[in-house]
Amino acid sequence: MRSDAPSPALVMSGSRRTVSFPYLLLPAIWASRNRVRRRERGDSLRGLLFGSIGLVVVVALASGSYWLARQVSAYEEFGDYLLRLGLSWLFLSFLAFLAFSGVVTALSSFFLADDLRLLMTTPVAARRLFFARFVRTLAAASWMVVVFMVPVLVGVGLGRHAPAAFYIASLTTIAPFATIPVALGSACTLAVVNIFPARRARDLLMLMGLLFAVGIVLLLRFIQPERLMHVESLPDIADFFATLQSPITPMLPSFWAGESLFAGIKGGVDWLHQAALWTTAGAFTVLLGWAHERWHFPGYSRSQEAPKTRFARFVALDALAAVLPLSDVRRQLLVKDVKVFLRDVSQWVQLLPLVALVLLYLYNFRVLDLERIPYMSGFVKNVYAFVNLGMAGFVMATVAVRFVFPAVSAEGAAFWIIRTSPISMHDFLWSKFWTALAPVLIFTELLTIAANLLLGVDPFLQVVAAGAIIVLTFALVGLATGLGARYPRFGADATQAAGSYGGVMFMILAVLLIIVTIALVGWPASIYMMSKAGQYRWRLTPDRQAIIVITLSMVVAICIATWRVAMRSGVRALDAMRG
Amino acid sequence: MIAVQHLVKEYGKFRAVDGVTLDVKPGEIHGFLGPNGAGKTTTMRMIAGLLKPSSGRILVDNHDLDTEPEAAKGALGFIPDRPFIYDKLTAAEFLRFHAGLYGMSNGMVEGRVHEMLDLFELRQWENELIESFSHGMKQRLVMSSAFFHRPRAVAVDEPMVGLDPRGARLIKDVFRRMSERGVAILMSTHTLEVAQEMCHRISIIQKGRIIAQGTVDEVKQLAGSADDEHLTSVFLKLTGGSGLQEIDEI
Repeated sequence: MRSDAPSPALVMSGSRRTVSFPYLLLPAIWASRNRVRRRERGDSLRGLLFGSIGLVVVVALASGSYWLARQVSAYEEFGDYLLRLGLSWLFLSFLAFLAFSGVVTALSSFFLADDLRLLMTTPVAARRLFFARFVRTLAAASWMVVVFMVPVLVGVGLGRHAPAAFYIASLTTIAPFATIPVALGSACTLAVVNIFPARRARDLLMLMGLLFAVGIVLLLRFIQPERLMHVESLPDIADFFATLQSPITPMLPSFWAGESLFAGIKGGVDWLHQAALWTTAGAFTVLLGWAHERWHFPGYSRSQEAPKTRFARFVALDALAAVLPLSDVRRQLLVKDVKVFLRDVSQWVQLLPLVALVLLYLYNFRVLDLERIPYMSGFVKNVYAFVNLGMAGFVMATVAVRFVFPAVSAEGAAFWIIRTSPISMHDFLWSKFWTALAPVLIFTELLTIAANLLLGVDPFLQVVAAGAIIVLTFALVGLATGLGARYPRFGADATQAAGSYGGVMFMILAVLLIIVTIALVGWPASIYMMSKAGQYRWRLTPDRQAIIVITLSMVVAICIATWRVAMRSGVRALDAMRG
Repeated sequence: MIAVQHLVKEYGKFRAVDGVTLDVKPGEIHGFLGPNGAGKTTTMRMIAGLLKPSSGRILVDNHDLDTEPEAAKGALGFIPDRPFIYDKLTAAEFLRFHAGLYGMSNGMVEGRVHEMLDLFELRQWENELIESFSHGMKQRLVMSSAFFHRPRAVAVDEPMVGLDPRGARLIKDVFRRMSERGVAILMSTHTLEVAQEMCHRISIIQKGRIIAQGTVDEVKQLAGSADDEHLTSVFLKLTGGSGLQEIDEI
């Protein structure tokens, strides 16, 4: 061994050369490079799938905003007014989203990230650690907004033949605009973590997520967008946008951003609002940095502490499980899975935004005056039953990939308990299936029945859709459980497992199955509806009745086959693991 | 070199560490022993700068961790019981990054990377992702990073866990040679044979308080044990109960 004596050149006291903050971003950059160099199975497939979906969304956003900008430009001064308000409204929505996203992301990057256990022991200046973490928080919290804004603004720019100044203003607006709410959100997290113990802070922030989702629903209802569905005159639209204005609006960064971009469209530069954005973003960053230097370490230290936390005992669940006709093994597996899920706030809270969106979807059917909307009346209204079927199917696929697919992976490092116990893999996997099936079936069945009732769909179609959802639920939950067992990711968290090769495979197969089901249900249903509408060409002859029976039977057969084959394949994969 | 003075850590009303005082001199290997939940890891994490003490002082190389955290951390190498390593980096990349964190200039780094990988028998895995490493290899990599910047003091929590006999011997050799070169080592461990074999002095902590401190012989005297008695029985005497009764009752 060569001399390892402490060298003054290396162990400086006081005047130690400390790294600049971008250096702390290097592991993420190197790790990304290594990931690209050493691609895993399914990376190309996943890239292709998500890339294609992303491209379609980007093109749709750009086209939509281009079309809207063209329409609005027809009204000259009033059109300018609408565009100005529209931009301000767009930024206002993102302001709330970015603030909330900043709260959640800051909790993870400043307090809960694993690499802090390494970085906090090294001689990195607190301010530099703050800047590195803030850049990371800003990027993680705002990338979705940026990805959404870029095509929208490009569409607006093209639609209004905007000069280059508009595109430059877009760049110089989005950066400070995103910084302000993310800094505010991060400050909120810093305060919460210093006031509450870490575990309660996490629950509290999750609760804020729930309130945010509910707030969005209430906001959407408050501004009554359905008023746009019966536009008789332009002033109605002006009233609609005016609802969004208030005396404090000009004080908000969303207003400054809207004004800056509008000036860009006109070929000018709004120096006042640009200055307001940049100085506010700068001031917030400096103040946040100062606050972090004082309170980050105490907050981080608290986040490492593990005081006793209160937890729900779920006595009712134990009582319910005791009376269910289950074997002891399955009863214990059921109780364990449900308790683990319900006690992990970070898991079930992710369902809340989805539930809020579904409730909004249903509520819209209740408040919309469907008879006034030409394309929603009469025969075509019944076709909407299949839109509901598709919607329920996609909701189910989303829930399944996020919560059912990772069910086996979620055993994680504790999977040895199952593998070394006298439990067959068949019992283990089928327990996972039944545990997931009940809530998913109840949720999607209620969604479908409620949506079709509110729409006033023909009773025959209501029954067919309700039946289709039952078999589709068995198929999708079985597929997710089976593929989750075939492609487990024991080391990954649930989100990573859902985005893995197996998760992407599940989504592709699930979408195909939903499309096939809708097609096979839609064909006989349309024959029935045509005949009911009294069209002679579409009389319900015995042949056509047979076609209806055969196609509906095919749906049942395909779904049952998918369910059984996927489960069998999953059990086999787990058995093979036992070797 | 590592001076801990009247260190206290409270979680609400519970005192996990209650007035701990330690002094690890240059070249000394100091064993930090105690039963599970006694406060060893909490103390080590405070010394490393991961936990804020409720009261008390920690000095590393005469730098107060509270008022000069960068200088104190720069003089310390820390090996935690559950280390974090970037799984998607290679061993060499991890060490290079570590060198940067401690302000080492580029010219010195490459040679040092190879030197440390050779020393800890990881050279052939230099360009492999850490995620493919075994537990023992990861442990050796963390140790190589802790010694990489030539610290004046090292705090190590449970160094032998997960190491095979060859790895354990290697680590013991490294610790001894570092100590010969003046590095102060504070080592928390449950492996009493290792403590007896390697440590110049030991401290035994129970319920957050130091209940015995000194050389192994001094601690034996304190416990009223014979000179040839093994440290395990001394430890059990001091911390209460042999544990055999409980085992019989199972």
